[in-house]
Amino acid sequence: MSPHQLDIQLVAVIVAASCSIPGAFLVLRRMSMMTDAISHSILLGIILAFFLVGDLSSPFLIIGAAASGVLAISLIEAVNRSRLVKKDASIGIVFPFLFSVAVILLSKYARNVHIDTHSVLLGEIAFAPFNRLIVSGMDLGPVSAYVMGSILLLNLLFISFFYKELKVSTFDESFASSIGFRPRLIHYLLMAVVSLTCVGAFDAVGSILVIALIVIPPCCAYLLTDSLFRMISLSVLFGISAAISGFWAANWLDVNIAGSMAFVCGVFFLVVFLFAPQRGLFGIMREKRRQRMDFAEASLLVSLYNQEKGEAVKNHPDSRGMFRSADFASKVVGFLKQKGEIAVTGGGLFLTERGRERARMTVEGR
Amino acid sequence: MLEFAVELFSDYTARTILLGAASLGVVSGVVGSYAVLRKQSLVGDVMSHAALPGIVLAFMIVGVKEQLPIFIGAALSAVLAVFVINLVTENSRIKTDSAMGMALSVFFGLGLVLLTYVQRMPDANQAGLDKFLFGQAEALVEKDVLIIGLTGFFALSVVGLFWKEFKLLCFDPDFGGTMGFSIKALDMLVTAVIVSAIVIGLQTVGVVLMSSMLIAPAVAARQWTGNMGSMVILAALVAAVSGVTGVALSAGFENIPTGPAVIVCVSVIAFFSILFSPNGFFTLKFKDAQSRREIRKDYVLKALHDLALEHDDPGYAHSERLLALGSERGFNVRKSLFALQAAGYVESVGEDNWRLTQSGIREVKGLSPLEKNR
Amino acid sequence: MSGKGENPVTPAVRVTDLTVAYGDKTVLWDIDLEIPGGSMVAVVGPNGAGKTTLIKSIQGLVPRVAGVVSIHGRPYEKQRKEVSYVPQRGSVDWDFPTSVVDTVKMGTYGDLGWIRRPGRREHEKALGALEKVDMLEFAQRQISQLSGGQQQRVFLARALVQSASVYLLDEPFQGVDATTEKAIVTILKELVAGGKTVLAVHHDLNTVSEYYERIAILNVGLVAAGRVEDIFNSENLMKAYGGKTSFFPERKTARRAV
Repeated sequence: MSPHQLDIQLVAVIVAASCSIPGAFLVLRRMSMMTDAISHSILLGIILAFFLVGDLSSPFLIIGAAASGVLAISLIEAVNRSRLVKKDASIGIVFPFLFSVAVILLSKYARNVHIDTHSVLLGEIAFAPFNRLIVSGMDLGPVSAYVMGSILLLNLLFISFFYKELKVSTFDESFASSIGFRPRLIHYLLMAVVSLTCVGAFDAVGSILVIALIVIPPCCAYLLTDSLFRMISLSVLFGISAAISGFWAANWLDVNIAGSMAFVCGVFFLVVFLFAPQRGLFGIMREKRRQRMDFAEASLLVSLYNQEKGEAVKNHPDSRGMFRSADFASKVVGFLKQKGEIAVTGGGLFLTERGRERARMTVEGR
Repeated sequence: MLEFAVELFSDYTARTILLGAASLGVVSGVVGSYAVLRKQSLVGDVMSHAALPGIVLAFMIVGVKEQLPIFIGAALSAVLAVFVINLVTENSRIKTDSAMGMALSVFFGLGLVLLTYVQRMPDANQAGLDKFLFGQAEALVEKDVLIIGLTGFFALSVVGLFWKEFKLLCFDPDFGGTMGFSIKALDMLVTAVIVSAIVIGLQTVGVVLMSSMLIAPAVAARQWTGNMGSMVILAALVAAVSGVTGVALSAGFENIPTGPAVIVCVSVIAFFSILFSPNGFFTLKFKDAQSRREIRKDYVLKALHDLALEHDDPGYAHSERLLALGSERGFNVRKSLFALQAAGYVESVGEDNWRLTQSGIREVKGLSPLEKNR
Repeated sequence: MSGKGENPVTPAVRVTDLTVAYGDKTVLWDIDLEIPGGSMVAVVGPNGAGKTTLIKSIQGLVPRVAGVVSIHGRPYEKQRKEVSYVPQRGSVDWDFPTSVVDTVKMGTYGDLGWIRRPGRREHEKALGALEKVDMLEFAQRQISQLSGGQQQRVFLARALVQSASVYLLDEPFQGVDATTEKAIVTILKELVAGGKTVLAVHHDLNTVSEYYERIAILNVGLVAAGRVEDIFNSENLMKAYGGKTSFFPERKTARRAV
């Protein structure tokens, strides 16, 4: 691994970690598509701020651009509040407009700005190591690692200070304001943090793929845990792993790194979605099958039980008539026999003592 | 500019391009209305981004930049994204917005990966594939416009044929279901129509901004009319005008990509409509302020009456300060009092004291809370 | 828990001239309401009568056109800690990744104020409240795994840890099982017996006389308020509901006699 590769991964890991932290709250607040709006809108802020400041890594540029994200959000909310446009359409008309203006400015004045329409979409993480922080002749590593590192630190501070406030206002907004927290303030603080993170991540992954890093790791975590704290920590882990494996995949295939990171995030989610212990697709299917079998077993036992209580013992129920297929019926009978709840003699089905007990419990409800 | 426009319209190639832009506009205006009315505006966003890997894959398979395979590839991958969203939301606790964000970014990410992969292939044919990102109308040739026209014709025919069913689907799908229409089939049909609109916009507007071409015209049209038929027609008009204007701007000035130019046009129309239409933002604000004034006037009248009742004299005077107690910020009680005075319901008895007149007492008896909302 | 609630002269909640409008629609019109300390009050009225808005506007959660709300004689803004709020159960996403005990702990956040974290003491408090609503065994359970009734108990427990003196509940019996309904009523009655004040939006007119001592009948304006036996009659209900309810107390007793 060359130092160059190490630097790229360092930046990627910091970016991914910073994105996952506010991401968890966005996912829980059903605001994932707001990320889409923010990440597109900041481009206009970045370009306008660049015209004013003239330096892409200036902290003024970063703050100015982040403000444009928050402005976009308030514009969307204003459009939506007017009751003239639905929420999703409000998002859908505001950010493409801001983004289009930005792209036009960018194309027209591309020679003056060191970004072009391609880097907007692709990110330039591969170039991150070239811009180095050198203090009195000492090379202290890539500048973007420091910029993004500060944003990561800020995100960490934000959620550790306001963890409780974020939690309660995300879960129950009106309760939160009834106990004197200000959910609107929290909302805008969160939006500011997301905008700042998007601006920081812009250099590395461009303005669309950052959505993957913000939304997907928390979604993976959401299917694996029931605790907010663990959800956040797991998302950070997922984000970091996606960054590293995405980098190596891109390296191997010689393709765009940011795109590869986004795609790997998707693969992670697919795996979690299918195999998560309780909430994965297979887990749910297994559970459904188990419930169906449980229900089938119980209904067979109960019908035997009712027959027993009535007089017609000689007319044993034909289990095959009860179920949708003969195959399924013999499976049910097989399981019950295995559990020792029924006995099969002379072609007829009989309840054992244990089976009778279960049937009785089912009928009487505990 | 005028000269340029004349030149543009008289030139055969230019006419072809503008015809393409206009037909694209008509189709996306019509189809976008459904996306917006079904509150699925952002699904269009996801689908257009998700078309990218399909475009590149189709190119990789066919090996040349051929229109039809690229259309099919784009459509398939957009539909796959919708399928993934449904699969995820139906089988997990992941909500729609997150599923959309994931589908959008993963598909787009894959598209960029493939794009950079293709661009490394030693084949000159791939040049210009990245024009699908932001669109480039100049590249439209007669054959492209023909395909746009045909696909658009298909989409519009479907809309025309299933007009009533689609209307039902937008308005009340559950009710539609009870009337025996297969909502699932209709849903798929609408999705197919939206996808075809997206696909024909790819070359002109590009995958990144195509969604706005669907949403903004419909939003603009909705501000001017409440009738579905007029909305669809108006949306088509708005989109066609924006398409043509955007293409002309992009061709007329250097270094302006077509997609963003078109979107800026259509967005400006949308924002203008939201602000200034007869039922728009400013009218609404004006009406709100008006009814708020009425509510406040009624409130002051009632408060004066209630206070007076405590003295068993309906004409008992009270100070303005007492009336203003507890009112919201910006509630200027004096203003309401002056308005009531002008109507002859209250009269001033010096020193900021006010009392009800005889007609004011009659008026206050007629104030019933339930009347207020009629 | 200040002793102010015991003062017989000052009502626990006093609402004066409360008027609320959304856009051009008046939702609450000049409401004057006094709720004596230590009473249990039902707020009833047809759909759109402004019941939820009343509960919310008392706490300043929706802007008022006019009106003053005082709690134990002082403005609500200074008495926020005296009021605890149980929103409608359906207003939150129960898939939120948190446990029962953590949800209940949110009730202590108001006392903690900004930034400070809940600790041992808050945990104990939450467990105590869970015990009261008979949910202690579910303390570590994820909230999405609860039944409707259990969710409502959790919400009540969250209100209990706030140790307030006025409880505002928005449809506490919506979609809960009969056992839970009884349990909640018992807890609320205990609170009232201890001098607390309970104000609940209530839907089921059949249980009003059984659960509450006082009632406020609302339909944008206040139709009537007072003791259930004085106010809860067909005339007032007619005024509030128009012909839209088939329930009138007299008829119900008649039916019971059959």
